Amino acid sequence: MERAGWLFVLPLALVLAAGYVWPLMQAGVNSFHPNTPQGIDLGHWTDANYTKLLDPLYQSILERTLRISLIVSAITAVLAYPVAFFIARLKPKVQPWLILVYVSPWLVNTVVKSFGWSLLLRSNGVINTTLQHLGLIDAPLHLMLNETGVIIALVPGHFMFVLLPLWAAASGLDPNLKWAAGTLGAPPWQIFLRVTLPLTLPSLIAGLVINFTMNMTAFAAPAILGGVRARTVSFLAFEVNLEQLNWPLGGAIAVGLLAFTLAVVWGGQRLAFLAVRSGRTRP
Amino acid sequence: MSLEIEGLEKHFGDVRAVAGVDLAVGRGEFFTLLGPSGCGKTTILRLIAGIYPADRGRVRLGGVDVTEAPIHARNMALVFQNYALFPHLTVFENVAFGLRMRRLAREEIRRRGREALELVRLGSLAERYPDQLSGGQQQRVSLARALVIRPDLLLLDEPLSNLDARLREEMRGEIRELQRRLGVTTVLVTHDIQEAFAMSDRVAVLEAGRILQTGRPAELYLSPASRFVANFVGPTNEVALAAVRTVAEGTLATTSGGLAIKVAARLETNAGGKAAWLMIRPENLRLFVAEGETDNRYEALVEDVVYLGAATSCRLAIGDLRLTAAVPSTIGARLAPGARVAVGWSAEDGVIGRDG
Amino acid sequence: MMRAFNAAMIALMLAPIVLVVWMSFTPEAFFRVPLDSFSLRWYREALSYPDFVDAFVLSAKLAALAALMATALSFLAAYGLVRYRLAGRGFLLGFFTSPLVVPAVVFGIAMLQFVNRIGLYNHLVGLLFAHVVVVTPYAIRTLHATLQAVPEEMEWAAMVLGATRLRMLARVTVPLAARGIATAFLFCFLLSFSEVTMTIFMTGPALQTLPVRIYNYLTDRIDPTVAAVSSLVVLVSLCLVFLANLAGAFKRLPR
Repeated sequence: MERAGWLFVLPLALVLAAGYVWPLMQAGVNSFHPNTPQGIDLGHWTDANYTKLLDPLYQSILERTLRISLIVSAITAVLAYPVAFFIARLKPKVQPWLILVYVSPWLVNTVVKSFGWSLLLRSNGVINTTLQHLGLIDAPLHLMLNETGVIIALVPGHFMFVLLPLWAAASGLDPNLKWAAGTLGAPPWQIFLRVTLPLTLPSLIAGLVINFTMNMTAFAAPAILGGVRARTVSFLAFEVNLEQLNWPLGGAIAVGLLAFTLAVVWGGQRLAFLAVRSGRTRP
Repeated sequence: MSLEIEGLEKHFGDVRAVAGVDLAVGRGEFFTLLGPSGCGKTTILRLIAGIYPADRGRVRLGGVDVTEAPIHARNMALVFQNYALFPHLTVFENVAFGLRMRRLAREEIRRRGREALELVRLGSLAERYPDQLSGGQQQRVSLARALVIRPDLLLLDEPLSNLDARLREEMRGEIRELQRRLGVTTVLVTHDIQEAFAMSDRVAVLEAGRILQTGRPAELYLSPASRFVANFVGPTNEVALAAVRTVAEGTLATTSGGLAIKVAARLETNAGGKAAWLMIRPENLRLFVAEGETDNRYEALVEDVVYLGAATSCRLAIGDLRLTAAVPSTIGARLAPGARVAVGWSAEDGVIGRDG
Repeated sequence: MMRAFNAAMIALMLAPIVLVVWMSFTPEAFFRVPLDSFSLRWYREALSYPDFVDAFVLSAKLAALAALMATALSFLAAYGLVRYRLAGRGFLLGFFTSPLVVPAVVFGIAMLQFVNRIGLYNHLVGLLFAHVVVVTPYAIRTLHATLQAVPEEMEWAAMVLGATRLRMLARVTVPLAARGIATAFLFCFLLSFSEVTMTIFMTGPALQTLPVRIYNYLTDRIDPTVAAVSSLVVLVSLCLVFLANLAGAFKRLPR
């Protein structure tokens, strides 16, 4: 009986083993070999690729990526709360449609969206020409080819990863709790701080973890809106792998990025777990 | 076809769902597995059908061992508690499913499908979908779907438990009638005693994966082999006994309160200290009996009287022994709490046994 | 006020997409929002540019194949996980959904080095497998939930009535799971069709999917042709989103 079950599971397991586990491990192995002009030197082992990641140039790129990602996640958290609660209070029939509006841009590829943002943000783009036309500014604002442009594009780009879990948590919230708190004399901001926030915190954290890792590894938005002046880790990875063709170093970047992502996901889960517990035991 | 089961066992993890079951169902017989929920009766049915493989034991159908036969090759039919009608198929296609699986000719599928629907009086609903039918109609469709393949064995898994009380009684008769007419060997699983008694030729009472007793409904009711069976198949007065002594007319039992009771049946005296018990059905207790009219006669105090319509239930105390009598309400009307009344019963009505 | 805030957020979400579509109708050769005159000039331009047409065909083919493969494999795997008490079920489900947490950049680097090593660089098969991996988690989650909702009694009923497991799957389980299967397929198609990051890393010059082609075009030169192509992409995506919504896809979004 159980043996037949394995027959069902096996094809996918094999495809994933060959097309997923193996490539990742291959990249990991490559990262411990030196790079030569002729390609990867499989005869020798080295940790030079990893020590190279500590180079100040790479460190500054990593710092910028972290900075951008954190700012985007923070802005998203603040913006997603009101939207999630607004949607959760609508009629149940309307809610999926509005959610659909927020989700569907995610299914349009990021190159097209980043291109759209560049049309808005460039120095002779829609925003600058409009502001200049209205006489509000004299010289165009620098809205892209810097960190600002990347942040502007990433906030809506990864918005739904926070919105969805928050919406689910908000619509699952027992309204009696808030009324109970209200009748006990808590003003609205106290209700939010003491009831709503603790109860939705695990969902917020879960959403932010995904949001943050997506920000860290976004490619098209930083490439198109950040350019070489605001290079992020993924853009660096692109250069190292496809322009310098230094695959051992590229492999090291991949391993580092994967390890970092898994650490964030793991840490986020711990945090969400703790948040659930503290939410329960809060007096 | 006849069904024989031998030493059937099934574990789910650490749980022993079926713990060694033997039974034999004759050709054309209506056999019922009766027991409380969790007693393993549904598991036995699924083992017979081949849904689960058995850990141990054999299943023979018409003398042929089918223990290892794949589920689809057993030519049995199973009616599920929730009917398990295919929601994406019409009533007719549901009924025709088994025929299509047997790759019968189109003409024959149409004819037999129609016949089966006529059999359960649903010919006019052939093109409906299951969710457009009432519970009773769905039940009939699942019955037609089972019977149309002319199964060697019909398995019914609590088929009536999702119907309301009136419909249930109606369907009982209908299923029984169909089963007799078609002569199909049938195994029913139920926890409903009335259903089991009303429909079955023979009943097996199960507990914790074992058969406690098999017999005709009246046998089970009148001479239960254990306290569990006695209590399960109907309300009873149970009396713990301090001593039993075999006498010429049968047995003389003594309660812990010192009351002597005559019983027609005999009980082995030497049973290694196992406690003996006596049981009497409430409807066998007679009130206002005259001296010598019954084998056993006692003065009792009426403690409580509960009117139940046709019958009246009456709690009596004979010393420290408490008994419940079910008497016709015409007699019950003459009773009031606190009254004294003579209660008696025949020696044949007492059933004795030992724990064991 | 909340309503206005929500409207503003929606505007922010849709702004780049709307602008691209709007811009694609400009009659001029540079990017200025057309206000009074519109033209299909750049659509003609785009459709006569074989690189875009080829890329569109490739993307559609790739997405269809990847979605088909991922849906079929995930259906089987999900069935195995739901119906059999396999040792390590939880681990397997976690494994099948784990590509979700591997960043596309990381997987792209790995696939680049991998397809080169096994000689599948610039080959559709390598690209196909990569896309199957990326979309599989969504298919698995959807189909796992779908199959859990199919009562096992239905399957037993079919088999007791004489259906072998395969015929039962074809006649009962698949029809009962049809909605979930359609959802999974459309979702996988959409995700594959819009995948950029991983693809841009691993794909060779001869196999550029539409988003990659657009990206490369953008880094090269820039004229409204790209807006027209992008608008067509948006159109395809929105149609599929609509279809997916009809199939109930967004009720089952992974959260």
